[in-house]
Formats: sequence, structure tokens, C-alpha cells
Amino acid sequence: MLLRVLRQAATPAGVVVAAAALAMVLYPPHGRGAGAQGGGSTGRLAAPALVDKTSPSRSAQLALGRTLFDENCSSCHGIDAQGSKLGLDLRGVGAAVVDLWVSSGWMPLAQPTIEPIRKPSKFDRQQTEAIANYVASLAPGGLPIPKVDLKGANAAEGFSVFALNCAPCHTITGAGDALSSELSAPPLHGLTPTQVAEAVRTGPGTMPTFNSFVISKQQLVDVVDYVTRHIEHPDSPGGLSLGGVGPVAEGFVGLFVGVGACVLIALWIGERDRHEGHGGGHGGGQGGGEPAGPGERLAVGAAQGGVPVAVQSSGEGGVDA
Amino acid sequence: MSAAQADGRAARREESAVERLYGWVDDRFAISRGGRHLLDKIFPDHWSFMLGEIALYSFIVLLVTGVFLTLYFVPSEHDIVYNGVYGPLRGQTVSEAYASTVNLSFSVRDGLLMRQMHHWAANIFVGSIVVHMLRVFFTGGFRRPREINWMIGATMLILAIFNGFLGYSLPDDLISGTGIRIAYSILESIPFVGTYLAYFLFGGSYPGTAIIPRFFIIHVLILPLVILGLLAAHLGILVRHRHSQFPGRGAREDNVVGSPLWPAFAAKTGGFFFLIAGVTALLGALVQINPIWLYGQYYPYKVSYAVQPDWYMGWLDGALRVMPSWEINLPGHMVPTIFFPAVLLPGITFGLIYAWPLIEAKLTGDYAEHHLLDRPRDKPLRTAIGAATFSFYFVLFGASATDVLANYLTVSLNVVLWAFRIACIVVPIVVFPVTYKICREIQETPGAGSRKRPNIVVRSAEGGYEVVPSEEYPGYVEREPDLEPVPVEEVDVVGAMQPEQEETPEGIYRIPRVFR
Repeated sequence: MLLRVLRQAATPAGVVVAAAALAMVLYPPHGRGAGAQGGGSTGRLAAPALVDKTSPSRSAQLALGRTLFDENCSSCHGIDAQGSKLGLDLRGVGAAVVDLWVSSGWMPLAQPTIEPIRKPSKFDRQQTEAIANYVASLAPGGLPIPKVDLKGANAAEGFSVFALNCAPCHTITGAGDALSSELSAPPLHGLTPTQVAEAVRTGPGTMPTFNSFVISKQQLVDVVDYVTRHIEHPDSPGGLSLGGVGPVAEGFVGLFVGVGACVLIALWIGERDRHEGHGGGHGGGQGGGEPAGPGERLAVGAAQGGVPVAVQSSGEGGVDA
Repeated sequence: MSAAQADGRAARREESAVERLYGWVDDRFAISRGGRHLLDKIFPDHWSFMLGEIALYSFIVLLVTGVFLTLYFVPSEHDIVYNGVYGPLRGQTVSEAYASTVNLSFSVRDGLLMRQMHHWAANIFVGSIVVHMLRVFFTGGFRRPREINWMIGATMLILAIFNGFLGYSLPDDLISGTGIRIAYSILESIPFVGTYLAYFLFGGSYPGTAIIPRFFIIHVLILPLVILGLLAAHLGILVRHRHSQFPGRGAREDNVVGSPLWPAFAAKTGGFFFLIAGVTALLGALVQINPIWLYGQYYPYKVSYAVQPDWYMGWLDGALRVMPSWEINLPGHMVPTIFFPAVLLPGITFGLIYAWPLIEAKLTGDYAEHHLLDRPRDKPLRTAIGAATFSFYFVLFGASATDVLANYLTVSLNVVLWAFRIACIVVPIVVFPVTYKICREIQETPGAGSRKRPNIVVRSAEGGYEVVPSEEYPGYVEREPDLEPVPVEEVDVVGAMQPEQEETPEGIYRIPRVFR
């Protein structure tokens, strides 16, 4: 097999094919518009020289992306995405990174000094892709927006991969949590398959990048399936999920709802507000704070000295004085 | 046939079948005497005496639901391929313990309800023991003659905490497996004997395959039996000592004012049982607890962030979190950090709980018998010590949620951790004098704690205002308690017929309570 490849590589045509293949490996197609997403250009080498041959819709998309970028991003990231004191150099980060940060609402920031937080995206899907592809068109490098097909996904394998690679920070329920210092792992609920795949492959912020050596292409599909379809368990049985943060929330419910309700029941059926020196005429028995009727019956237990007031039982139970 | 025999037959014919059966049994076992003694036991009516009953009844719920669970749970760490109804697990290799827990949740009718009821009842069980214990502590209910019963209660608290830990470890899921891992390390941290203890309990090095079957038999057989035995002793001593009570309304050191067990208290407490069971059932039906199908099978190389134990172990987890990493290096032997918060702290905690009745008697010199309880404000020093100690553990309990709090408050985890480190020292120091001062001020406030009377502001025709205190409440009459003795004639028919008891007035027996 290898020999045959080498022999083929010796022919002039083989040289061209091999060079193209090598270039494909070294410079994977990086978000050249719809072609990169649809896989239309993946079969060919997407060299910068091909930009001129873009379809009208793609050039229109890049134009839209440029407009949106200039309006919303360039004040920090620079007019040609070259970066500034306020924002990173975006040249060569790839369409996947831009798509993730914009679609998750992390970008654009309200102010350049604040931490990015998840919020509804400012742009619709078409605008987001336009920005991502425009940024990717400025320089080679990075990953295109991944296309995830969840057909044939194995949720069990995804669950296992998730427990091994994602749960150590995002928690096993995907609820997210505070990590050390200022860092935190965001909740994984309400994400699209594309966003999950982008996050796994590009590693936003302090998150590690999981390339295909760590999580294979099929495992990526599996884990995306688990995160987007199963982790939230829209039909998870058992009632309120308490935010999926585990025993802390359960403990608070157990103590303050469970024990609390039981104590309130005790307050309800037991006697309240009997105080020394209060005359004691009320509150007898089950009525709680109700005044006792004249016929209310109370019982006295034992008697003192030789003056029997009341009786409870035969003398066996007590110790004689 | 003699006339007496004929009379006896006629009398028997008038009795119902049940009465005759009862008479037959009573002739042989004399159950009427002791039974009447029990049925007439007086229970004070105050609500705070019902806290222990919450624990008792949630324990019954635990036993019933637990028996149901044992029918379906397989205590084995043997690996099988999960092939049940839950999609994201199908095809994964899991232990039989985990698979059977998932199956009993999803494939057994009412299985999930029973599991959740069992877990919630466990939370309520331990919680109500703590609340009950706080009541006994703050009212001085542990004083002579009840010291031993206090210690029995403390033992039951320890066993309940242990059994809770064993119970939530049984499903062999990712979160509880992490807990077992921590428990193993805590055992190992005990100087000199730790490694041996850990090997002994786990049957070898971690994780092994013995731990689930062992935990199972301790959880379902040994500890429940011990708790049942202690419970019987606890209640037996309660009957023997008679109930303590709050002063007022005719209550004295030598009597008990309240309702007799039969019928008034039995009706009340029976209803209480169903209400407690109802609370457990509602929680089990409406609120998810320990959704192990989300957690997956435990493997030592997998871990989830945000893992905490159930709340009753939370104070230990919190102590582990706030403890700075200090070690003691003895020559040739290192005592690791976790020894101090996870072994020494609970040792001191429960040592103090056990010894408190003796410590307080020693400090106050009060060795007398007490059946009337204190109001917490009347013993400001004890109340302040108790409140300060409790606040310390409450802060530790909160510290077990540092990550969750940091996440929800969106502050740095390190800030939260340091806040708890400082709080577990500062809060008790603040709580002590504040509690003491509040107790003193309530003591000095006339009418504190009694029902408040509204003031009615009346405007006169001239435009002036006048404040008139209202009636206490409509129909209120200040009167002495109408204490009704338990009628004897109805209660001790069998005992009264027995000739050897005739030295006391017929049907009347003294029940002494002072044991000296």
C-alpha cells in the first residue's frame, strides 16, 4: 500500500496530488465562506488566489461580515483584525473561534474592560457566519465552522467521553462551577451542536483544546450528542432537578423544606405559647393558640409524697420512694 | 357443674370473642399491668417534644422503603454491560450495583419514588435528630437522670451519619465513589494504624471489589439493628424516667402534665406519623435527589467537579476545605493535613457531646435531679456556649459549598474560601456574647415571650388621641389549669382485681419519680 503510494508519487501527476495533499494537511481549509462549511471547497486547495473566484453570494457574505466587523469589533480588534491594546489579534484564529465567541454572546463586549459573559447573541445566524468567515478570510489558519451531523451518534460513548474530559470542570451534570481563583466553567445547557464542537476543538479562554488525537471525530459527534440532547434531560424523571448542583442543594431542601415542614407540623399539632406565670389557661392540646374551653381535659401524671392526685398505672413501672 | 362454674360460663358468654382471647392471653402473660402503665404514660403537649418523633417516624419510613429497595438492589461490583432503558448508558460497562440501582429507578414500578423517599427520609432523619438534640441541649434535658439517654442519642446520631454515608455510597456512582475515595484517604491519615484500618475495611488497597458488598451488609443489617436497639433503650429510658416538661400550668418536678398515651397522644402522634410520611412522599415525588443516571458509573480515573457529600457529612467536607495544608512531620512518620479536620475534629466534637452532661454538672456543681426544663434564656451561659459551638459547625457546613456559592455569587473561589476560614473563627466569637446579651435582656424584659397585646388608638371627639390596650384576645379568661386526674376505675380493672395489691387504696398507685 505504502509502496504503491510512493510509486504513484514518482509520476508528475502524483507529485501534484501529493503536494496538494501535503498542503491540505499543513493548511487546512479555513472558513472561506459557505464553501468551507458545506464542504464544497474541502476537496480543493483553498488558496488565497481563489478569492477572486468566489460566488456572488459569498462575496456578499464577506461584505456583510466586513461591515458588521467594522461596526462591532474593530474598535478593539483593529480595522483589519490586527489587534490593539484592547483586543487580541484575530488574524489566523479561524472561523470556528469567531463563530463560538460571537454566537455565545461573549462578544462583542459592552466595554473592553469587563469579563465576557454568556448572553443572547447580538447577531442572527447568518450575520454571525458572515463575521466569522470574513475574519477567517483575512489570514490563513484556524479551523472552519464545524458541521456536526448527529446521525449515528452514540450517546453512551459520548457520556463516557464527557465524564472523562469535561466533567472535571463543567461538573457531571453540566451545571458549571467556579474553579480556582477567578476562573469558572460555564454551564453547558442550551448550547447548539456547533458551539459544543467549536469549544471542544478550539478551547475558548482557559479551556484546553481537545484535538482529534484526544477526542476522535466520532467521539466528538458522540459527546456533542450527549451534551446537546441528553445532559439537560428534558424528560429526566424524579421531579425538580435543583439546578443539578448535587448534594448541596439537596441538603438545603432536606433541611429547610423537609425538616422545616416536619417542625411546622409539630408546631401545628403540638401546643404553643405556654409560659410560666401566664396563668396557663389557654393553648391546651391540639388547638394551638386557641383558648381552652372550660371542659378541656388535662391529665396529671404522678403524685408527690403520700397525696395521690392521679394514677397512671400499676406500681410496677416506678421505683418506690 | 357447680354454681361458680355456671356463673363463669355465663360471664364468658357475655364477653365478645376478642375480649375472651385477650383475657386468655392476659391470664398467661399479664400484659394488662404493664400495658396500662404504658397507655397511661403522660406526654407533655408542647410542640418541641415532638421533634424526636420526627426522627422516629422518618426512621420507620426508612425501614419500609429500605426493605423495598433491597428487593431490587444487587450489592456487587461485578462488571456487566448495561442494557436497560436509559439510552446514554446502554453499552457502557458498569457494576451490577450501579446497573441495578438505575434499573430499580427506571424499570421497577414506584422504584424511583421509593429511592427518592428513602434518600429524603434519610436527610430528614439526621436533620431531625440534630434539631431534637438542640432542643434537649438548650433546655437542659440532658441533666440527671437523663445523661445516659443523651449519650445514647448522640450514639444514634453518629450511627445515623455513618449509615447515611454508607447508603448513598451503595449505588457506586461517580459522585459517591469520589466520597469513598476520600473516606479511604481519611482512614489512611490516622497515624500508625491508618493503613491497616483502610486495608481491613476495604479488603485490600483502594478500590478493590469488596467495598460495596461490605457497605451493603453494614448499611441494611448491622447499623439498622444497632440503631433499633438503641432506639428501644432510648424510649425505654424515656418511659422509665417519665417525660421532662416545661414549668408552668401545674407542672412540677414530681409530676407530668400532658395527655395520656391512650387515646389523646396516640391519636396525635399517629397523625403525626402520617404527616411525616406524607412530607417524605411529597419530596420523593416532586424533588429529584441523587439522579445517579446523570452521574454514571464510578471509575477511579473519572471525576466530576462540584462533588459534595450529603449535608450531614457536609461539616466534615467543609472542615477539609477550609483547613490550611499543615502537616506534622514526626521522625519517620508524617501526619497529613486531613487528619486534623477529618479525624481529630469529629473526635473532639463527639467527645464534647458525650461528656457535656458531666462537664456541666462539674462546672455548675449541680448534681440534682431535674425534670423541669430550663428556658434557654434562663441559662445564658449554656445557651451562649451552645449557640457559639453550633455556629462554628454551621459555618463549616456552609464551607462545604464554597464552589457552589462562588459560582452563584460570581465571586472568586479563593475569596469564598478565605471568607469561610475567617468566618469559622470570627462567627463563634461574635455569636457567644451576642447570645449571652440577648438572653440577659429577655430575662429582664417583663412579659417576654408572652402573647403580645395590640394597642388600640382611639380618637376622641375633640381630636385627641388615646392609647388603649386591647383585651388579650376575645374570650380570654385567666384561670388555674383544670387538671383532671387519669381515671383509675376504667383503666386498671385486671390489676385492681388482684388481691396482693390491696395494701394501696383500691385502684390507686403511687408513681414515684424521685429515685433516691
